[in-house]
Amino acid sequence: MSFIDRFISSWHKYRKPGYYEEFDYAWTMSIDLDRCTGCGACVTACQAENNIPLVGEKELDAGREMQWIRIERYWEGDYPNAKLSFIPMLCQHCDSAPCETVCPVSATYHNQDGLNTQVYNRCIGTRSCAVYCPYEVRFFNYYDHHWPAPLDQQLNPDVTVREKGVMEKCTFCIQRIRQAKDNAKDNGRRRVRDGEVQPACVQTCPSEALVFGDRKDPDSRVSKKINDPRAYHVLGELNTQPSIVYLKKVDADA
Amino acid sequence: MPNVDRREFLRLVGAGGVGAGAGFMLAESIKHPVEHLIPYPVPPEEFSPGIATWYNSVCGMCPAGCGISVRTREGRAKKIEGNPSHPVNQGRLCALGQAGLQALYNPDRITGPLLQAGSKGDGSFVPTTWNDGLTRVATELREARGGDAVVLLSQGVRGQLAALFELFMAELGSGALLHYDFAHPHALHAANEKLFGEQQLPYYDIANSRYLLSFGADYLNHWLSPVHYALGFGHSRQGGDGPRGKFVQIEPRMSMSGAAADEWIPAKPGTEGVLALGIAHGIVASGRYAGDDVGSWTTALAAYGPEHVAGETGVPAKTIARLVHDFAHGQPGLAIGGSNHSNGVETLVAINALNYLVGNIGKKGGVVFNPEPPLPHSKNRQANYVEMRALVERARQGGVDVLIVNNTNPVFTLPEVAGFREALGSIPLVVSLSCFMDETTSLADVILPSHTYLESWGDDAPQPGVGFPVAAVSQPVVAPLYNTRATGDIVIGLAEKLGLGDVFPCKSIEDCVRDNWRQRLADGASEGADVDVLWRDVLRSGAWGKNTRREHAVAFDPRAIGSVAVQRPGFAGSAGDYAFLLQPYLSSALYDGRGANLPWMQELPDPMTSVVYGTWLEMNPQTAAQLGLSDGDLVSVASEYGSIEAPLVVFPAIMPDVVAMPIGQGHEQLGRYSRNRGSNPIRILAPMLDASGALATAATRVKVTATGRRAPAVKTGGESRQLGRNIVQTVGGSGSDSHDSPGHSTKLNSIPITVEPA
Repeated sequence: MSFIDRFISSWHKYRKPGYYEEFDYAWTMSIDLDRCTGCGACVTACQAENNIPLVGEKELDAGREMQWIRIERYWEGDYPNAKLSFIPMLCQHCDSAPCETVCPVSATYHNQDGLNTQVYNRCIGTRSCAVYCPYEVRFFNYYDHHWPAPLDQQLNPDVTVREKGVMEKCTFCIQRIRQAKDNAKDNGRRRVRDGEVQPACVQTCPSEALVFGDRKDPDSRVSKKINDPRAYHVLGELNTQPSIVYLKKVDADA
Repeated sequence: MPNVDRREFLRLVGAGGVGAGAGFMLAESIKHPVEHLIPYPVPPEEFSPGIATWYNSVCGMCPAGCGISVRTREGRAKKIEGNPSHPVNQGRLCALGQAGLQALYNPDRITGPLLQAGSKGDGSFVPTTWNDGLTRVATELREARGGDAVVLLSQGVRGQLAALFELFMAELGSGALLHYDFAHPHALHAANEKLFGEQQLPYYDIANSRYLLSFGADYLNHWLSPVHYALGFGHSRQGGDGPRGKFVQIEPRMSMSGAAADEWIPAKPGTEGVLALGIAHGIVASGRYAGDDVGSWTTALAAYGPEHVAGETGVPAKTIARLVHDFAHGQPGLAIGGSNHSNGVETLVAINALNYLVGNIGKKGGVVFNPEPPLPHSKNRQANYVEMRALVERARQGGVDVLIVNNTNPVFTLPEVAGFREALGSIPLVVSLSCFMDETTSLADVILPSHTYLESWGDDAPQPGVGFPVAAVSQPVVAPLYNTRATGDIVIGLAEKLGLGDVFPCKSIEDCVRDNWRQRLADGASEGADVDVLWRDVLRSGAWGKNTRREHAVAFDPRAIGSVAVQRPGFAGSAGDYAFLLQPYLSSALYDGRGANLPWMQELPDPMTSVVYGTWLEMNPQTAAQLGLSDGDLVSVASEYGSIEAPLVVFPAIMPDVVAMPIGQGHEQLGRYSRNRGSNPIRILAPMLDASGALATAATRVKVTATGRRAPAVKTGGESRQLGRNIVQTVGGSGSDSHDSPGHSTKLNSIPITVEPA
């Protein structure tokens, strides 16, 4: 088989939707909007874990915030019947991710665990992926950001520090997933146990609104959550098939 | 390293590296961080490169006392997580707690002892040595007049450090040991004392309650123990087997807890207590309460019929009737309150009466009384506004020779009218033990900087507790970064200079904590138990507890029944000149201002408004329209006691005659991230008090005028309405009887995309 033939055959193999379904894990997060209090603990946990730069007031004012997970807030109604709902928004790790198809250099692709990953070294900064993303969860480094000493001592050595011109986004704390897999292997297990790996946001959530796990394991906590009658996908009509499942907020008056 | 050989050590380090909960400690293992990338000729024994070591300790960012697990790599702290074995936070942690790392590694920390070189307040500090600093202070202490001429003003401290302070001040013959925390719930303490004769706060079992009536208690933000209550909230909502818990929040401005609640009811500011009594009236009148003292209750509540209460509070009688019904039947139910008005104590008594009337005192899902804290603690040391004013007056009249301030910042957290700043000028020697150059520290004569909590030894029994005895040990997770000392060691150092060293049972706070704990463990241990093992277990797990509940029959003080009436709240300023009631609230990220120097906290969008890096004034949209103001206009907020400026943020859930501002910004000091940013609403508060002597922070009237300038607050996030996008979806009822089941919404949309082979 010529190189071209091999290329075409593997192209078809890997461009087929759901090709990753035959692999071991399908990492999934459920977010219970009935529990979320909007406190923002997840946001800071993510910043600490993933070396997310401080962008400063000026860039924030220009809409260049850099928080892989954020709390969106939506008002409904007017005084005195105003209501506010919070929804944590992060990369949905779509199984049909619009961002992946657009990248000219394949810097963002779907990995074997169903994660939408970003290869910083490949990224050339076209920002097309951010335009294609309907969830607005990709963040571009318009500048190099520096931590004044000794704040840099906090940086997590397991995570890259990104530089100017690179797109970045939620990784589901892939460094923690890798570590958990390594540990499982070292202990002679084939699979990571449920609850063994938690991204920083899930780990810290004070009201336990966030649950993370493998939806291929029917007994995992997250598998039970995604079968809850309240489960839905944000912007589900776009058919991006996200790995984040939201559980509807309960409105006792509705 | 005594008692631990290398093999044992590596085993422990390995265990720490694998299990997040398995914290591990050894004082000797904490060495300086790696400075250069040089291969090790002799590898360090303290850690394995590339493997994280976790230490369990206690969070020091707010008084709740959550347990933390700190991940360190190569001698540096990398991440703070909740300690899963600590009953208060059970592995969870709030944003401020996570940002503790930025207190440790803050670029604006004080790096060593400093002396004022010029005059007080001009900021000309010169470095000195510890010996010199301590000697100077000790000399002044020796020369100070006896009695209360020496004052120690500290943030709230507990455990061995509190005991050390008590001992130190007793030896100096001074009774002027004050703890000062801006957000200390004085009124709640007073109400509990009045009703139940309890000095400690009870445990509010939100997790197991099915109906929570919160009268302005922002329990998900900074009320007492927010992480614990958030856990309880989540559990009550969707975690239990029983029906979903319902949450009602009654307050003039929707707080975070109001947003999370099922129902937000705006009541006129300061009438929360009247509303509580109106509900109590309904419960008694409906015959739901059948205690022996029902007669006295009926008499006491006679004046609080629905029409009267509706008139006073602005809450419709129909709503009150519904609240009565729901609270009486939604059991176990819980009523909590956090009043900042001049009638605060009566209000909280009235709210507690609700708990009594539906019989949930001492019950699961109700109000559970806490046992005596298992560690030494100071009693009645928290200074309220009256005591702080007394201190100011004494200082002005030359009655204070030495003031030692430990990590509290009254210049920032007291209103301008209290005169604390000026009083510091009348004190010959002001000593600050603060980690940061805050407003109070900048006016000190000698600065003896303490370690941050991540570098110090200590112990803590969280208050309010969780219904059973809990204590935790706080241990250093990294070597001290700078030439600072643990607060306890500074006090011991001073005592030694004064020749009082022999009085102290130990030579360092580390010894104090270890000796005291070992003694405690030995006393409680069974025959033949190894105290070394017990002590190491405590350090490793980071928490200690006893599975006992206090049996405590609580009788409502019969005299209290007759006096449950709630007076009308008083407000400073006439309604004519000052049209709005100012409601300052603790910022979610910055707490009482101590988080303002942490860049993560500055960049954390406010939960309600998404504002970052600044202060703002919240106003009802219709009121703003009437005044011709729009979002982003810079307005002047003036009380009888001063004025500040802030950009206007139109806020859909605030009463028309109330404006609200977050506390936390407006620092003149505290480093690069906080200096000259925003404004501090505490400054302009009037000296209104409640019956406990605490400052009634929501009792100041202000006028709001346009400055003609625009300075929009920096917001993240964009559009604040869904605009039909249906991003946040809701279901009715309990959430289980939904017709469009998930399965559907997920699968309907999952139309497989087919890619035709070329």
